[in-house]
Amino acid sequence: MNALSANAAIATGRVQLVTFRRQSLAMARWRVLWIAVLFGLIAAAAVLRIFYLGLADHGPARTSLEQALLPSRGEITDRNGVPLARAFPAYALWYNPRAMSESGSPLVKSPQEVAARLAAIFPEIDEGRIADKLASGTSGYLRRRVLPEDANKVQAIGELALEMPRENDRHYPQGMLAAHVLGYVDADGQGKIGMEQVLQEQLADPATRGESVPLSIDIRVQGALEDELRRGMLAVNAMGAAGIVLDVDTGEVMALASLPEFDPNAVTSEDLVQSEEAAARGETPRAFNRVTNHVYELGSTFKPLSIAAAIDAGVIRDFSKRWNAEPVEVGRFTIRDLKPKGETLNIPEALIYSSNTVTARVADELGADRLRRTMMDLGMHERPYIELPARGHPIWPGDDWRRLRNMTVSYGHGIAVTPLHLASAYAAMVNGGIWRPATLNKLETADIPRGRRVYKSSTSARMRQLLRMITLYGTGKNADAPGFRVGGKTGSAEKPGAGGYRRSSLVSTFAAAFPMDRPRYVVIAMLDEPRGTVASSFQRTAGWNAAPIVGRLVPRIGPLLGVRPDDTRDVDLSDLRPLVPEKH
Amino acid sequence: MIEHGSRLRQIGWVAALASCCGLFLALSFQVHAVKSEVLLAERQLIALKQETLMLETEFQARANQRQLANWNAVEFGYQAPRADQYLENERQLASLGSSLGPAAPSPIRIARADLPLDGELVDAPREMVSPVSGKPVTLAMNGVEPAGTGIAETLGAMIAEVSPVRTANARTLLDAEASE
Repeated sequence: MNALSANAAIATGRVQLVTFRRQSLAMARWRVLWIAVLFGLIAAAAVLRIFYLGLADHGPARTSLEQALLPSRGEITDRNGVPLARAFPAYALWYNPRAMSESGSPLVKSPQEVAARLAAIFPEIDEGRIADKLASGTSGYLRRRVLPEDANKVQAIGELALEMPRENDRHYPQGMLAAHVLGYVDADGQGKIGMEQVLQEQLADPATRGESVPLSIDIRVQGALEDELRRGMLAVNAMGAAGIVLDVDTGEVMALASLPEFDPNAVTSEDLVQSEEAAARGETPRAFNRVTNHVYELGSTFKPLSIAAAIDAGVIRDFSKRWNAEPVEVGRFTIRDLKPKGETLNIPEALIYSSNTVTARVADELGADRLRRTMMDLGMHERPYIELPARGHPIWPGDDWRRLRNMTVSYGHGIAVTPLHLASAYAAMVNGGIWRPATLNKLETADIPRGRRVYKSSTSARMRQLLRMITLYGTGKNADAPGFRVGGKTGSAEKPGAGGYRRSSLVSTFAAAFPMDRPRYVVIAMLDEPRGTVASSFQRTAGWNAAPIVGRLVPRIGPLLGVRPDDTRDVDLSDLRPLVPEKH
Repeated sequence: MIEHGSRLRQIGWVAALASCCGLFLALSFQVHAVKSEVLLAERQLIALKQETLMLETEFQARANQRQLANWNAVEFGYQAPRADQYLENERQLASLGSSLGPAAPSPIRIARADLPLDGELVDAPREMVSPVSGKPVTLAMNGVEPAGTGIAETLGAMIAEVSPVRTANARTLLDAEASE
């Protein structure tokens, strides 16, 4: 029994052991199987992933070449493709106090030390203000524009809080050159003032901004114009200056300058608005365009326009006819000549000596209606034709001109227009008599407007002779650049002030065209309130300050514009030459 | 036998299918590899173009008209060309050498070399002189033997004759040669 029971007990124990062992083995097998399945799944997933990556076209989000190179704002170039304004990935200097840690000092060194290091890189910044900014612990721009080499130097300071984010910025490589033509882009990406404002949609639209927009201006001519205007302005201590070079056959503006100018790369609030004291002194903000927006009484430069109207109407047929040059009395008003040259003058003499009295008498004979009609045909009664948004409305004497008004307008008083009006009118006078609107867009031959006829072709030919005579024998001698056959007229008008004209402040203008035997370009140079200095032989009139500017400018720009100096050509003056005395 | 053959054929089909799939896979991988290389090249292109733009803008900014005018005023002093620096056409050029009319202004002088007095060398061609160093120049062509009579040499010479590429034959004499 014992043995049996023991045997049975052993048997039971062994059976249990065997069962247990079998169960454990099965469990182990299952576990191995599960792990194998797991590994298999992972491997399958990895292989699938490889196939997916290899076969499916799911690279990193790709942008096409065109898209990546599309500028954030379209480029503006001059007529020869020189970039004037382009989107430029620039660096900015941004202070981020939380770059190091959420709490604690944002800078490794002291703010004063960092500010001193920054001032060593950018000498023009205010070290104290930068130190205060760094100490205040608020994030913000320290500088909007940093050159790549300066960016490296800033990195070398070793402050994490000084970040250099790349920003798409508008850059004007030529600096202040043609600032009034180009304008600037404000912080919101909106173009202001110049062509940036005019072309805003075209420059911002992704469909069109890939192509650069060519302007009509030639940057070399623009540079020469601004250079000479600035020199002339500083030499006579003038308040401002304006100049324009216009193609007489197409109306394209080759250069347009208004001084003092502003820097479109760094526009300040003083450029746009000015203090009340400055306004009281008669100054204008730097962003104000004197060529298209400021209206002036341009004085004697109007005389050729009136004389041309009279030739056109047949009032002047005989150029040797002597006109009475004594003062004209109209009511209480008396028109006099600045420097009387005798009792009678013929037409060439009247222009050469700039006689108010003869011009007034010619206009009187011509009649107010016809002079008014001519002035309207020349566009003097409306804003100038140009793309720029800033266009000044002329001070136009209205519809009904009385006798005195007709006489004063004939020599450029009682009517105030912009220098651009004058340039377009001179272009019409010398190009054969066709007036065309001025434009800042580069024109193809097919796009040149037909224009409207103001003067007869024969009148235009006569005016070329007369204008050439003024620079050869008259007030414009200082503008006679050798070989360039310049012809033009001076104009020195007193500026109107409180209670009449101010004798002390003049606007002196020289309106010219060259070469006179086949006019190609009109050049206007204007000085606002020039003073008599040594440089101008203590004279304030245009013959001594504005004419020399043209005389120096034309030789610089002529060869660039395809006009070759030539001593062997000129306008044929043989029929008018005997009418002017040899000595003057 | 037929069964065996059909099985072999089945295996053959499967093998063909497998190899096709394998080739297709390899080709696909290859295509995508090239694609990503193109992408990489495009990115490099973009980076380079942007760098070019940046450098060009920097150049334009440094060489702006005002800067050039300042440099010219201080350093170079270049001036606009005058009328007498231009010649309009060949006729104007020829007129510079024409004989003078009566009461004409003083003639334009033309530079010329002095001739020897004894007159025997007047007709002999003058020795060629280097315009740079002023030393006599010999034509290397002078020393070359005339082309041989063989057909191959004549052909070679003809080819050399019609060839647009010519070697420079003139050379300056060496110092030792010149002093001899």
